[in-house]
Amino acid sequence: MTLLQLSDVTGGYTRKPVIKDLNFSIGEGELVGLIGLNGAGKSTTIKHIIGTLLPQKGEIRLNGVTLSEDIDQYRTSFSYIPETPVLYDELTLKEHLELTAMAYGIDEHTLKSRSEALLKEFRMEKRLNWFPSHFSKGMRQKVMIMCAFLVNPKLYIIDEPFVGLDPLGIQSLLDQMDEKKKDGASILMSTHILSTAEKHCDRIILLHEGRVRAQGTMDDLRKSFNMPTATLDDLYIAMTKEQDHE
Amino acid sequence: MNSLNEVWSTRFNHYINEVQKYMRFVFTGHLAIVLVFIVGAVGYQYSEWLKVAPDTFPAEWIVSIIVGVILALSRPVTLFREPDQVYLLSLESKMTLYFKKALNYTFWSQVGLAVVIYIVAIPLLKAVTELSTNQIWLGVLFIAVLKFLNVQIEFNYRYGNRGENIVIDRITRALLSIITIQTALIMNYTMAIIFVVLLIVYNMALKKKVLRQPVPYEHFVKLEQNRMMGFYRFANYFTDVPHLKGSIKQRSWLNFVYNIVPYGKKSTQNYLVYRTFIRTDDHFYLWVRLTLISGIIAFVVNIPVVTWIVAGALAFATTLQLKYALLSSKDFRMDRLYPVKESQRKEAVQKVLRLFMVVQAIIVLLCSVGQPLFFVPAIIVIVLNEITFRVSKDPSKHDYSY
Repeated sequence: MTLLQLSDVTGGYTRKPVIKDLNFSIGEGELVGLIGLNGAGKSTTIKHIIGTLLPQKGEIRLNGVTLSEDIDQYRTSFSYIPETPVLYDELTLKEHLELTAMAYGIDEHTLKSRSEALLKEFRMEKRLNWFPSHFSKGMRQKVMIMCAFLVNPKLYIIDEPFVGLDPLGIQSLLDQMDEKKKDGASILMSTHILSTAEKHCDRIILLHEGRVRAQGTMDDLRKSFNMPTATLDDLYIAMTKEQDHE
Repeated sequence: MNSLNEVWSTRFNHYINEVQKYMRFVFTGHLAIVLVFIVGAVGYQYSEWLKVAPDTFPAEWIVSIIVGVILALSRPVTLFREPDQVYLLSLESKMTLYFKKALNYTFWSQVGLAVVIYIVAIPLLKAVTELSTNQIWLGVLFIAVLKFLNVQIEFNYRYGNRGENIVIDRITRALLSIITIQTALIMNYTMAIIFVVLLIVYNMALKKKVLRQPVPYEHFVKLEQNRMMGFYRFANYFTDVPHLKGSIKQRSWLNFVYNIVPYGKKSTQNYLVYRTFIRTDDHFYLWVRLTLISGIIAFVVNIPVVTWIVAGALAFATTLQLKYALLSSKDFRMDRLYPVKESQRKEAVQKVLRLFMVVQAIIVLLCSVGQPLFFVPAIIVIVLNEITFRVSKDPSKHDYSY
């Protein structure tokens, strides 16, 4: 079943659109990679999906509703991990988890059991009462990840998740993503780490100059570029060269 | 040589523009009106009190101590910036010229405050001492000389010691400045001049140390950054200063306040706003400062109408500024995505302000006990908070793009 559907979405920060006529969907239990060069429109696409930017044209449907139809259901259906961690300087790690749980209507008992597991997984148990000013970039990223997984939504939207994380952190994140996928959750992930994307994503969307250049499984992409043995790195470079020829 | 002159003058122009840009907001802001009221009220009290001031009042000592302490605080204004640590290194031997200009500006920008305070005290000195008018004005000359020496010494001390133990240097200078003014005010000019000479000797000793040392760019850059930060913090009360992040303190002694917020989806913004208000220095100290001023005025001034107006004006200023600070934010925050009602934030801010304005009202009430109609200022505080919050415009109404 389709969880997220973008139909003819055009939008950007100003009148001049950054993304143009985007069409793609994500099904239940699917991990989809959003790949593209700097400035291809990955972050803009994500901002439209989370609702901080509204499309100039087209429609985004999540879990059956658009943002304007049922804002509460729309927002409860996803959690978001931004590229740069956005934390409250005035809240401790524990308070970040508590605040998130309250916002998404999670009861105290569930909060306790879920956060204990997450803190252990990301090795942050001893830092519960720390403020973000004492966290490294990677730790800040971990706080965002834990808050997102605490919510247990239908869709995870993850922007460049691997930058700044140590190898153990990356492994923990991938494990968590696998686990949630098994439970039926979907994940949209934008990244530049192509080998990881190739290995873990069920499908890949190649974004180029605000449009979908190609999408599908690795096999679909190889066919579309006519490169039967290519890796994702090869396809990515081929796409860049196409741009140079234009 | 010319290039350093130019460096100073471009920087100086840029600095003055920056200060003017923000001072415009300060002087047109509502706090300026509050200040006018406070100055008026305090001035009136002062002139009333002068009529009955006893001859035994230790005016010389009080004036010397206040002015002396202000003279000792002579932080040099160098207008250094971070890249200077690298780019000005090669010009090290020529920096004397630059510093001369910097210290010149430091003197002129700081001497005013000490002189103004002294001038305010002149009616007091006339009332309770036997000083002639000329002798009183001679005091201004002493203040100017002392300020000049204090600026030179603080700079040389910081240069020689990279600012270490500046407190000891400041206390020494404060004591010498106080005693110089005090002896001058009791017309013992020989002693006053001896103390000035002591300061000159101290300066010369420091200068010897300076000559053997490289320019401590790092210390002066840090000092300059702190100074500008202080200015931006101040300006931030009146207008939005971009890229200014307030510092955070836990203030765990106030943790009990959070217990009034129950766990649950409906309390999400309450949970956040209580902590943001209490732990952000800018917000919390703004409330503390205005509450203290309101309390002191209620305690000191015994003309009911004046205390009413001041309490009202300060309550208005507190509510308006805090509402703006807590509701407007151009940065993206995660709670923008939370599946809770949009109006929750505003309701939470209103709740927090209501609580803390009731506390302000109680403090003002306690300070005005014993005065006729002592309960009126407290009521004014509570009523003005409600009205201000409802009537003022909502700063959160803007688009959500970031």
